[in-house]
Amino acid sequence: MPNSEKILVVEDETTILRVLGTILTANGYQVITAETGQQAVTMASSHCPDLILLDLGLPGMDGLEVIKKLRQWSGTPILVVSARDEEDEKVRAFDLGADDYITKPFGTSELLARIRAARRHANQLAAERAMVSSSYEYKDFKIDFERRTVTIAGKEIHLTQNEYKIVERLARQPGRVLTYTTLLHDIWGPYKGDDNQILRVNMANIRRKLEKNPAEPRYILTENGVGYRMADGE
Amino acid sequence: MNIKYDKIKIFFLNPLKTSAILLSATYINLLLLDRFTTLGNASEIYILSVLLISLNTTGYVWGILSAIVSVLCVNYFFTYPYTNFNFTREGYPVTFLVMLTVSIATSALSGRIKKQREFARERSRLAEERQKIVVEAEKEKMRGNLLRAISHDLRTPLTGILAASNALIDNDELINSKDRKELLSGINEDAEWLLRMVENVLSVTRISGGAPSLKKVCEPLDEVFSQVVSKARKRYQNIDLSVIMPDEVTLVPMDEMLIVQVLINLVDNAILHGGDTKVELSAKIIDNFVKISVRDYGKGIPTNDLNKLFEGFVSRDKDCTDSTRGLGIGLSICKTIVEGHGGQISAKNMPDIGACISFTLPITEVTSYAE
Repeated sequence: MPNSEKILVVEDETTILRVLGTILTANGYQVITAETGQQAVTMASSHCPDLILLDLGLPGMDGLEVIKKLRQWSGTPILVVSARDEEDEKVRAFDLGADDYITKPFGTSELLARIRAARRHANQLAAERAMVSSSYEYKDFKIDFERRTVTIAGKEIHLTQNEYKIVERLARQPGRVLTYTTLLHDIWGPYKGDDNQILRVNMANIRRKLEKNPAEPRYILTENGVGYRMADGE
Repeated sequence: MNIKYDKIKIFFLNPLKTSAILLSATYINLLLLDRFTTLGNASEIYILSVLLISLNTTGYVWGILSAIVSVLCVNYFFTYPYTNFNFTREGYPVTFLVMLTVSIATSALSGRIKKQREFARERSRLAEERQKIVVEAEKEKMRGNLLRAISHDLRTPLTGILAASNALIDNDELINSKDRKELLSGINEDAEWLLRMVENVLSVTRISGGAPSLKKVCEPLDEVFSQVVSKARKRYQNIDLSVIMPDEVTLVPMDEMLIVQVLINLVDNAILHGGDTKVELSAKIIDNFVKISVRDYGKGIPTNDLNKLFEGFVSRDKDCTDSTRGLGIGLSICKTIVEGHGGQISAKNMPDIGACISFTLPITEVTSYAE
């Protein structure tokens, strides 16, 4: 299915740039490219892409700087591409307003799925949806935001107050990665600090209640070193 | 800076010690003068002080100097006429000569003792240094071996990639789509393998600096395991993987990336060497440790490989059927990582079928946030 969505690929390595270009074009996207951060900002303002695929390790103005610049005026979804050893930067990218990330090296299908998901979220206008929707549903997992109940296959699951808050917070923006910092701040208040252990232990307990196999969660997914996301669609 | 300071200290310390000891000797003699001191007594106390000085100063000079001073003191203070020098009285010149000789000899002897002491110290220091060099060389050798093994393992898939891609470029029209697909998936597989090797190399560089470079943070075992499971599933579509976790949510201090690396290596081993797709991942708390095991249902580990399993290069043997995919390095890296965490790793064959590799990690405290 051809679509005319325009993707700005920001990548300084020409081989990877070429491969990405080929893959995306073959899948019906229009591709424009930039090799430096400065170029990326210029291209984004002059070409109004529907999505930006941004490599974090750029020469000169680095990826984080680009996100900061872009977010001053643009809500275009940003999909960050990062190497394995850039975990800290990944977290900062999210805090600056990146929408999702993918770790190098990645497979084609994973990349395309992430792009589709990011586009979907942009179209859904997450904020609006969060106001309107009164429930979340994924497969046999349901949350009723009004009655504050969580059920799996119709069977109610008892969660503690904090556990419910975490689940609801994630379910309000399904598919979106929420960083540890965001979740800690929203659930425990602004003074909780950076210690994410309490959050992660709570998550482990939630999974033990929700998931059939906690080591292979299906509903709440972990983004290593970054945070969690609630499953949606795909 | 420090050395200079030490030199100054010695420079002042020697005369200070010498005069202090001589003064006290004279003082003691003077105190005793009336009642007890005879010439012999006074001389003996001075000889003692010469001995002490010789032992406590550097070089011969101070000992000899104090011997001369002692002789003069005895003459001045303790022989008649008191507080006056007189070398003429009968018999005294002999006494003084003897005393001087004894003092100098004592001084020389104690100097030698001190030399020997220093020598012994020097020798033990040298021995220590030699020990350090040996350990360092051992480490260097291990690193060298590891590097050699790794480059061997890198070359094999690279050769495959080069050959396959060359074939595709040069004979584009001659290759049918089935063969093309086969060549391409070969390239893909080899690249995946390279990636794994590189991840191992990365781990080595992170730990080769020693334990302090480990970034230990308390991680919930649940999440560590789920990372391993999702990686393993991506790698082996048909894996039959089960997980057994402790009842309580357990936090274990670790460098997560490295421990995941260990577990992935163990799962790789289980699948590729065990030859069966059924693998069990389990964790059990034993006192202050968590014991994590990867058990397979494959053909087990050859008995003569069991004790050198973690030394690396086991599968580099000529008779090994899958020598292109040597995993010995993976295991020696596992060992380094686990020991860097203060744990131990061991392997055994299960009585019925398959092998089990387990490692321990210390848990300082079991933190429970149960509400």
